[in-house]
Amino acid sequence: MNTAPQTGLVLPELAGRAPEPSTSRAAEGCAIFIYIYIYFFFFPPATSFFFYFLAADPAVISPQDPTLLIGSSLTATCTVSADFHLRAEDLYWTLNGRRLPAASYAALGPTTLSVALARLNGSKQQSGDNLVCHSRDGGILAGSCLYVGLPPEKPVNISCWSKNMKDLTCKWAPGTEGETFLHTNYTLKYKLRWYGRDNTCQEYHTAGPYSCHIPKDLALFTPYEIWVEASNRLGVAVSDVVMLDILDVVTTDPPADVHVSRVGDLEDQLSVRWSSPPALKDFLFQAKYQIQYRVEDSSEWKVVDDVGNQTSCRLAGLRPGTVYFVQVRCNPFGIYGSKKAGIWSDWSNPTAASTPRSERAAGGCDPKGGEQNTTLRRELKQFFGWVKKHAYGCSNLSIKLYDQWRVWLQKSHKTRNQVLPGDKL
Amino acid sequence: MPRPSLPQFPRVQDEAGAGGDSWGIFAFLCAALCNLPAVPALNGTEELGAGQSIQKTYDLTRYLEHQLRTLAGTYLNYLGPPFNEPDFNPPRLARAEQVPSATVDLDLWRGLTDNARLAANYRAYSRLLCYLRGLDGQAGTAELRHRLGHFCSSLQGLVVSIAGVMSSLGYPLPAGPAGPPPPPGAPAAPNDFLKKMDDFWLLKELQTWLWRSAKDFNRLKKKVPPAVVTLRLEARGF
Repeated sequence: MNTAPQTGLVLPELAGRAPEPSTSRAAEGCAIFIYIYIYFFFFPPATSFFFYFLAADPAVISPQDPTLLIGSSLTATCTVSADFHLRAEDLYWTLNGRRLPAASYAALGPTTLSVALARLNGSKQQSGDNLVCHSRDGGILAGSCLYVGLPPEKPVNISCWSKNMKDLTCKWAPGTEGETFLHTNYTLKYKLRWYGRDNTCQEYHTAGPYSCHIPKDLALFTPYEIWVEASNRLGVAVSDVVMLDILDVVTTDPPADVHVSRVGDLEDQLSVRWSSPPALKDFLFQAKYQIQYRVEDSSEWKVVDDVGNQTSCRLAGLRPGTVYFVQVRCNPFGIYGSKKAGIWSDWSNPTAASTPRSERAAGGCDPKGGEQNTTLRRELKQFFGWVKKHAYGCSNLSIKLYDQWRVWLQKSHKTRNQVLPGDKL
Repeated sequence: MPRPSLPQFPRVQDEAGAGGDSWGIFAFLCAALCNLPAVPALNGTEELGAGQSIQKTYDLTRYLEHQLRTLAGTYLNYLGPPFNEPDFNPPRLARAEQVPSATVDLDLWRGLTDNARLAANYRAYSRLLCYLRGLDGQAGTAELRHRLGHFCSSLQGLVVSIAGVMSSLGYPLPAGPAGPPPPPGAPAAPNDFLKKMDDFWLLKELQTWLWRSAKDFNRLKKKVPPAVVTLRLEARGF
């Protein structure tokens, strides 16, 4: 196509096509020219193209938008409308933009061309494979979207939890992992075991792609049946039914106000205190707690399991002069008198504290003394710098402040170079 | 604040060769000056606001243009080849006339009054927004749906912004599709392939409109401020 955008008018290539008869068509033609002008004025094409304006469908493809199983075969036909003066020999097919071999074509009539597709693979995109019938010069006459895939498999691993007995969130896993050629719709359904009416969950994707949240109208003390239906164009699959009572899957917020402090001068102990999550007092359940802690530089957590329902605990057997990170979580149990445990909450945000430094290492006759002093001095300098910036002067100076600074150091990854391994003993 | 003085007038006069618009402005200014003692200085600030609104609207069209590039790329990949091929150009079917076209004769475009220019933009984006909202709700990944939603909100912002410019310049909003009514008489595509073509053309028209709007608002930007500033300072002078 010859284009000269600056001159203003461009003639589209109409070689081999009958001229449009009526004046309305001519007016439409004018509109095209102007369109092309503006089009090229704004973004000139890299390659030539064929452009024409149609009032009726130029061709019809059959089958239109079929759904097929992977591995099946298909014969599609393209029938050109009489107005277009095209014959079967003037047509060709493409699938997803790639031309199909002429060997698979067959002329079924003067204006009808068919193509045979064997052993189809799954659709390249969920919107369907694009099977297109073209005229010889590349123009698109008609298209059909092929949906090729597999029926869904039943979803598995349904697990649910209720936050403070107020709602229910469930998640599941799809039966087939990996690619799904067809779009699959998941519906979570639930009903009271002995009442019969199915309900559908409405809020999806609240805790990941395969999850749903039921915010209200949930009954307690009575079992629910919950299941997930997966459906796509090829069929439906229903998961196994899960039966549960809301009170059995209760979880709550993590404990609040976690404080970790030293126990006097004891070098190997820290005291942890927290308050129970606020929801606890409303719901007639008790809570049991778990603590986990780790040394500043390690990623290995130690768990303390036998905390019971106290809101404080003393950690013993710790290393002196070390910074520890501590987290607490809780599990509501004995809900309305039942003996079962609920589901553990999330861990609280980590809190840091350090054990007092051992007396032994502070001797002046220690050959490493000089080295330690320089390190200590450097650390102190940095500490005071930080205090000036963050602690509004020295009135709040306390060992707590020093611990906070150590946590801050850790976070800004400067610890590596400052603390010598020797100090940790 | 410096007075850009009366020389503004000769400048407007020199532009007379460019068409009737400049004479219109000049005539308006004369009429305004004659009535100036009755004109509260506050009018001046309102019209200065119009200049800022126009700038904001211009910026918004550039932002949307940028967003559209990514969105269109993702959506066309979802439609699959050949829709996402760079030289793809399917036939424009008569039914596709429903989508407002940005194309217009160049001289006609140059000669549009400010009101007509703004109204064309307002009407086009109101309808484009409708069609965009009607794009397949199940389309592709959650990420694509999220991007589409975000783009629709921004486009809604553009419609509101244009309405703001129109009212600050004293033009009435075009009657009819104010806000999003259901696409009037637009038949649903009879098959999935034609629906894909409709989606393709919708994105293309959106792209062309944003290109054109940037030029529309650039033009408006140049026209509105000088008259406004002169008016405001003349008010101070009295």
